[in-house]
Amino acid sequence: MRSQPPVKPDPSSSIRTHENAAFVRSAVEQYQAPLLRYATRLVGEPDRARDVVQDTFVRLMAQPPATIDSHLAEWLFTVCRNRVYDVHRKEGRMKQFAEGAAERVVAADPRPGAALEAEETQAAVRRLIDRLPANQQEVIRLKFQNGFSYKEISRITELSVSNVGFLIHTAIKTLRREWTAEMPGAE
Amino acid sequence: MNHFEQTRLNPDDPRLTAYALGELEDDERVRIEAAVAADPALQAAVQEIRATAGRLSAALEAEPLPQPEPRVHHEAYHTVRPARVFRFPYWGMAALAAAACLTLVFILRELPVASKEARQRDAALAGQTAAQPSEVEKASAAATVQPPNHVEIQFPKVAENAPASSGETADQWGVVVPNPPQAAAVAATDAAGAAGSTGGLPKAARLRPDFDVAMDKRADYRAIGAGSSSKTVLADADNMPAAAPAVVGADDSGGGVNYDVALQAGKEFPSRPPSAFPETLPAPEPVPVPLPSGRVVTSGGGQPFNTEAYDYVADNGFLAVAQHPLSTFSVDVDTASYSNVRRFLAGGRRPPRDAVRIEELVNYFTYAYAAPKPADQDPFTASLEVASAPWAPTHRLVRIGLKGREVPTADRPAANLVFLIDVSGSMDEPNKLPLVQESLRMLVEKLKPEDRVAIVTYAGESGLALPSTPVSHRQEILDALDRLEAGGSTNGGMGIQLAYDVAKANFIPGGVNRVILATDGDFNVGVTDRGDLVRLIGEKAKSGVFLTALGVGMGNYKDATLEQLAGQGHGAYAYLDSAREARKVLAEQVNGTLAVIARDVKVQVEFNPVQVQAYRLIGYEDRLLKPEDFNNDKIDAGDIGAGHTVTALYEVIPAGVEWKPEAGVDPLKYQRPEARGQKPEVGSRKSEARGGSGELLTVKIRYQAPEGGASRLLEFPLTDRGGAFADASPDFKFAAAVAGFGLVLRDSPHKGTATLDQVRHWAEQGTGSDAGGYRAEFISLVTRAEEIFSSQG
Repeated sequence: MRSQPPVKPDPSSSIRTHENAAFVRSAVEQYQAPLLRYATRLVGEPDRARDVVQDTFVRLMAQPPATIDSHLAEWLFTVCRNRVYDVHRKEGRMKQFAEGAAERVVAADPRPGAALEAEETQAAVRRLIDRLPANQQEVIRLKFQNGFSYKEISRITELSVSNVGFLIHTAIKTLRREWTAEMPGAE
Repeated sequence: MNHFEQTRLNPDDPRLTAYALGELEDDERVRIEAAVAADPALQAAVQEIRATAGRLSAALEAEPLPQPEPRVHHEAYHTVRPARVFRFPYWGMAALAAAACLTLVFILRELPVASKEARQRDAALAGQTAAQPSEVEKASAAATVQPPNHVEIQFPKVAENAPASSGETADQWGVVVPNPPQAAAVAATDAAGAAGSTGGLPKAARLRPDFDVAMDKRADYRAIGAGSSSKTVLADADNMPAAAPAVVGADDSGGGVNYDVALQAGKEFPSRPPSAFPETLPAPEPVPVPLPSGRVVTSGGGQPFNTEAYDYVADNGFLAVAQHPLSTFSVDVDTASYSNVRRFLAGGRRPPRDAVRIEELVNYFTYAYAAPKPADQDPFTASLEVASAPWAPTHRLVRIGLKGREVPTADRPAANLVFLIDVSGSMDEPNKLPLVQESLRMLVEKLKPEDRVAIVTYAGESGLALPSTPVSHRQEILDALDRLEAGGSTNGGMGIQLAYDVAKANFIPGGVNRVILATDGDFNVGVTDRGDLVRLIGEKAKSGVFLTALGVGMGNYKDATLEQLAGQGHGAYAYLDSAREARKVLAEQVNGTLAVIARDVKVQVEFNPVQVQAYRLIGYEDRLLKPEDFNNDKIDAGDIGAGHTVTALYEVIPAGVEWKPEAGVDPLKYQRPEARGQKPEVGSRKSEARGGSGELLTVKIRYQAPEGGASRLLEFPLTDRGGAFADASPDFKFAAAVAGFGLVLRDSPHKGTATLDQVRHWAEQGTGSDAGGYRAEFISLVTRAEEIFSSQG
C-alpha cells in the first residue's frame, strides 16, 4: 500500500511554480463550465455566476496545489458555494436554484430524430428535478451531475452525511413517483 | 456485526437508497446487502432506485453546459465585463489581483524552459526584472492601494502542438492591469500573454491556434503516434535476428557462444534510428476539449496532465543487515509503469518521478530463466545471479528471477470472462475506446471455443452489452465489441457490481473467472471512493472472481487507482499505449494473464551478516511486507501467471566496504553485542562458519496453489563467486540496465554513477535474442530520454 504523498513542496522550486500554473490552468479547463452551471443555479443569474466562479479560481491561484490536488473538485465547489453565500448575505437576499434558471443557461440546440426524443425525455426529467425543493435540487445535482459522493456533498454543503442521504432519498422517491405518473408505461 | 438479528428494512429507508447508490461502507453495506438478498421487494426497490439514478445522471449530464464565452478562439471567459468584476468587495478583489499578479510574475521568472525561444524570452524577462527591480513591487503596490478600473485575467488555454518547441507547454498567462502604467509594463513583458511583445511573430499567437483545427491535428498525430510507430517497430521486429538462437541461457555457466551471436545480431539495434518516436510526434499534452458533458470529474477527454494521479513513491534506502537481516516483499507482475513512461518519453516529456516504478519497468521484460521441469511439484523456480553493480562497482547486484510454469492453451482451464468497458465521454479518443476494442478483439481471437465472454459497459448508466456468450459464437462477441460507443459519464462502481454479478452467474468452478476492466481510470459516479472500490473488489476476489485492469489514455489517467484495484482483485494491471502493447499483454501472454499458477507469492531474503553489511531492494516500494507477514497466509500478496517471469534486484554492500548508515542509532546501552551474534568481523574470517559457509543470502519463497490451501515454502541459497558485471549473463545486464534507467528517471539518490549513456551501453550488452524486439525498443527509448534530458538541461 502506498502512503499518501507527503506534501512539502519547496515554494521557491521552479518545478513547483510551473506546476502551479499548469494546475490552475487545468482546473479552469476542467471545472469552469460545471462550476458555472452550479453557480448559475445558486445565484439564478449567469453574470453573477461568472463573477463567483472567477473569484473561485483567483482563490485557487493562492493555494499550493499539493494541499488540494486530491480533492480539487470538492474544494472548488465548496469555495464557490461559500462565495455565493457571501454575496447573498451581503445583498440580503437568497435565491437559489430558481425555477427557470435552467432555461436561461440552456442553449437552444435542436437535434434530429432519436436524439431529439432522448433529449425530450431528459428535458422532462430535468423539469421534474426543477420542481423539487431547492435543497434537494442542490444535492441531486451535486450527486448525479457532478458525481460527488455523500461524504463530499456533506463537506461542500455543510450538511451531515445522513442529512444528505435523506435529501437524496426523498428526492429520488418523489422523482420515481412523478416519473411513473408522468410517463405511464415508462416503468 | 450482528448475526442473530436480521436487519429488517423498509423499502422506504434512506439506507436502501444509499446502498443502491453504492454509498454504504463495510458492515452497514454487508447488512443491507444481506437484507436485500433475502427480500425480493427490496431487490425491486433497489432496481428502481438505480434506474431512477441512471435517468437522473443521463438527464443532468445532457443538460447543456453554460458557454463560458462565445467561442472566439476558445479563450476562456477572460473577458469578464469590467463593470461587473468589482461587484464583489472591491478591496478583496484588488488584493487578490495583486497577489495573482505577483504569482504570475513569479511563474514567468521561474518557468523551466525547453525551447530556445522560450529561454530567450525568459532571459529578457529576467533582464528586465533585474533592471527595474522596483517596478514589479510598485505595480503590485499600486494595484493594492488603488483599485484599477478593471482587471482582466486570462485563463489561458493549453498551447497545443507548438511545432518548434519539443513538447514543452508554454504557459500563457496574461494579466492585464491597464491602470496603473507600471503594471502594464509588467504585462507587456509577459511575452506569452500580450501580443505586443518583442519582435517577430508573437509566440502566443502561434501557440494558440484555432481550437478546432488543433483538435483535429491532435487526433491525427495521435493516430500516427499509436499506429505508425508501433508498425515501425513491428516491422523491424520481423526483420530482427529471428535467426539468432531463440534461447539464451540465464545462468552463469551456459551459452557463451549464444551470447556472441545474439550480441552481434543485437548490434544492429543501436544504429537504428529511434524511429519509434517520430520527431513530429507532439507532446501528449492534453488538448482543451470542450467538455462533452457537464460531468465535473469525468469530463476527462484531454485534461491537462496534472489530473493524472500517481502516489508518492520514496526509494527504498539501504538497510543494515545487523538491524534488518530479513527483507520481505510481495511479487509484482504489473508492467503498467513501463508503457506509461514510454508514453511520456514518446511525447517528449520527462515522466513524473512517481510514475516510474522500477520493479514494473524491470518486469515488463521477459527473461529466459529456467522453467520448472515438468516433474517438479512446484509451479515455479528461482534463478539467482550476482555480479558487481554497474552504477556502484564496489557494491554487488543480486538478481532474483522467478519463472512460472508454462501452461499450453489446451491445458488452460476454461475461462469465464467479463469485459467491463468504460464507455464514458472521456473514452472517446482514438487512443482509448478504439484501442480497447482492438485489444479485446485480439484477446477474443486467442480464446478457446469453450471459453465465455460477456461485455458490461459503464457510463452514466451501466449496461450489459453482451450476455455471457461462448467463444464458439466468436462473431457475436466481435460484433458486440464493434458496436460500443463512447458517451456519458463514468460510473465505475455500479459497472463493477454488474460485471461481478454476470461473472458470478456464469461461474466456472476450477476455471478462470475474471473481470477485465478497461478504463482511463476516472471513476466518479456511484462508488467513487477509492477505498469503497478497493473493498468491493477485494470482497469479490474472495468469491473466486478476479480482476485484471487495463489502463488506457492519458490526461486524467488514474494510475494509483488501477494498480490498487488490480492488486486487490488478484490480477495484473497493464497500461495499453498502443496496439502493439495490447498484443503483448493480451495475445502473446494470454495464458499468463488468464491462468494463475501460484497465488500470494511472497519473497523473503535473509542476508548473511558475515558477507553483507547492508542491502537495498530496488523498487517494490509499495510491495514491502513485514517479516512476520511472510509466514502469515492471511496476508495477501501478488500472483504469478503461467509463464510469467518476476525479477527483483537487490543492491548489496559487502562487508568490508566503507558504508555509513544514513541515520544510525546510538549504540545500545543494555544489549551485549555478542548476544546479537554474528557481528561481522571485517578482515578476519573466523565467523565464516556461523555465517553459513560463505553464502551471501538465502531466498525463501512462499506461495499458495491457485485453489488456496496452506502455503508452501521454497528456499534457494546464493553464494557470491565475485563475478564482475562484464561477465554477467545478458539477462542480468539487461535487467540492471532497466533498473538503472529507472534510477536515472527517478533521479534516485541511489543512482550512483548511472547515466543514460551507460544505461544504453549496459542494455546493448544485454540485448540477447530479444524475442519480440522489446529490448531494442528499450534502447531507443533510452536514446529518446537522452535527447529530452539534454534539451531540458
